[in-house]
Amino acid sequence: MRVGFLLGEVWNGLRRNTSMVVAVVLVTMVSLFFLGSGLLAQRQVDTLKGYWYDKVQVSIFLCTPDATDVASCAGGGVTDAQRDQLRSDLERLDGLVEEFWFESNEEAYERFREQFRNSPVLDSIPQEAIPESFRVQLADPTKYEVVASAFEGAPGVESVEDQREVVDKLFSFLNAISLAAVGLAVTMVACAVLLIGTTIRLTAWSRRRETNIMRLVGASAFTIHVPFLVETVLATLVGAALAIGLLWAMIEYGISGFLSDLLAGQTGMIGLIGTRDLWTITPILLGGAILLAVITSWLALRRHVRV
Amino acid sequence: MITFENVTMRYAKGDAPALSDVDVEIGRGDFVFVVGASGSGKSTMMRLIILEQHATQGRVLVAGQDLSRLPHRKVPALRRQVGTVFQDFRLLSGKTVHQNIAYVLQVLGAGRHTIRQLVPETLELVGLEDKGKRLPHELSGGEQQRVAIARAMVNKPPILLADEPTGNLDPDTSQEIVAILDRINRTGTTVVMATHDTTIVNRFRKRVVQLREGVIVRDQDEGEYDAVEEGLA
Repeated sequence: MRVGFLLGEVWNGLRRNTSMVVAVVLVTMVSLFFLGSGLLAQRQVDTLKGYWYDKVQVSIFLCTPDATDVASCAGGGVTDAQRDQLRSDLERLDGLVEEFWFESNEEAYERFREQFRNSPVLDSIPQEAIPESFRVQLADPTKYEVVASAFEGAPGVESVEDQREVVDKLFSFLNAISLAAVGLAVTMVACAVLLIGTTIRLTAWSRRRETNIMRLVGASAFTIHVPFLVETVLATLVGAALAIGLLWAMIEYGISGFLSDLLAGQTGMIGLIGTRDLWTITPILLGGAILLAVITSWLALRRHVRV
Repeated sequence: MITFENVTMRYAKGDAPALSDVDVEIGRGDFVFVVGASGSGKSTMMRLIILEQHATQGRVLVAGQDLSRLPHRKVPALRRQVGTVFQDFRLLSGKTVHQNIAYVLQVLGAGRHTIRQLVPETLELVGLEDKGKRLPHELSGGEQQRVAIARAMVNKPPILLADEPTGNLDPDTSQEIVAILDRINRTGTTVVMATHDTTIVNRFRKRVVQLREGVIVRDQDEGEYDAVEEGLA
């Protein structure tokens, strides 16, 4: 079959079936928009993880004079010997610990005053109540448990805190968004599959005379099927292009524009996804659209267009 | 060219067979009338030849190929060897005569040059050389059937099947159609025509294969068809 003839057949098919084709385009657009949103939310999580996990450490808080209710602090404030012992212990955890540094009571109090500068509690907290600490940067953030168990309850240690727990709440929130988006995408893809199936059935019916003649004169299955296939692939690709356009607008005006301005004053630079992330997932969306079209058409053609 | 060897065809289990132990050989270049009343099995024979249906028992051979063993992907190649014409013409109403015939060549992958050459040539064969730009509904029944014959013949198949091609036409037009089939036959094409038109059969004096309830009751060169026998007249 010549390309020109094929394109003519495809064009006729699209023209005769405009409303169904538009439906396929829109359903594909919505399903891929949700799929893309889910993937982008996931990339946002990854971006933030990279950003936060660099900053966040395990903090080993040392005993303050008042913390005698904790067993390992029974002797009151941390002694110089205990502090030196902890320091050498940390040095021995070479593979696990990327680096660590000591935050003295003065530094900690300074930071505390800065953080709570607008709070009335500031004046009621004495400097001695702020613990000194070792700030530990882990080589592998997921190995937190190993480090924690090594120092939890050691003499002079009041508590060990993994500050990832704080940001993990944010991540689970983003993950939930991501999952919801992918869930919606799956539902919409199911709609798309059914709609494409119905479209092909209707198209097959409206073209049954042509198909019948093609069969009788000995056209191959490929020749008979390929116009249907090309029409469906074109429709889903248009849908995919529209979905990518929507995602681009969302990132460009929603995230890079609005959200990043909003956050700029608050936390300084934090990692947000940008259009570059969209281009990374673009092949997935386009490939998904083509796969959806080809598999669904193939199944529908086997059922509705006998050769 | 076409051989039926002990062919039995049953559409559903328990039904009376549409064809029962049919044994027929049609040679290259033959012209055969397959006659019989409605339901005698004529159309079933046609359907078996283009593999719309597989025989329940026995073998059907077309152009040297055993159809019961023909793989699915080779069915289109078989159908390219067999042109088909039906009682109801089956033209595409939105396409002109020329486009209807060109359509066959297009779906079979022919180029523009071939189409420009073959379509007028085939229209001439059926005597419609000046009607290429007409739409099917602007033509008489006989002309429409001639377009259908042109469409069946445009890719020059060695076999032409015509299933009741004159069923919708008046006697004079019917004769014209069969005369065209006869002319096509003289160029070497094997023609098999199913009909129950006694006048046509008796006038053209060709080989007659007569079916009654799926059984061959007559196979005669330059044969006759007596409809009174069938209770048709």
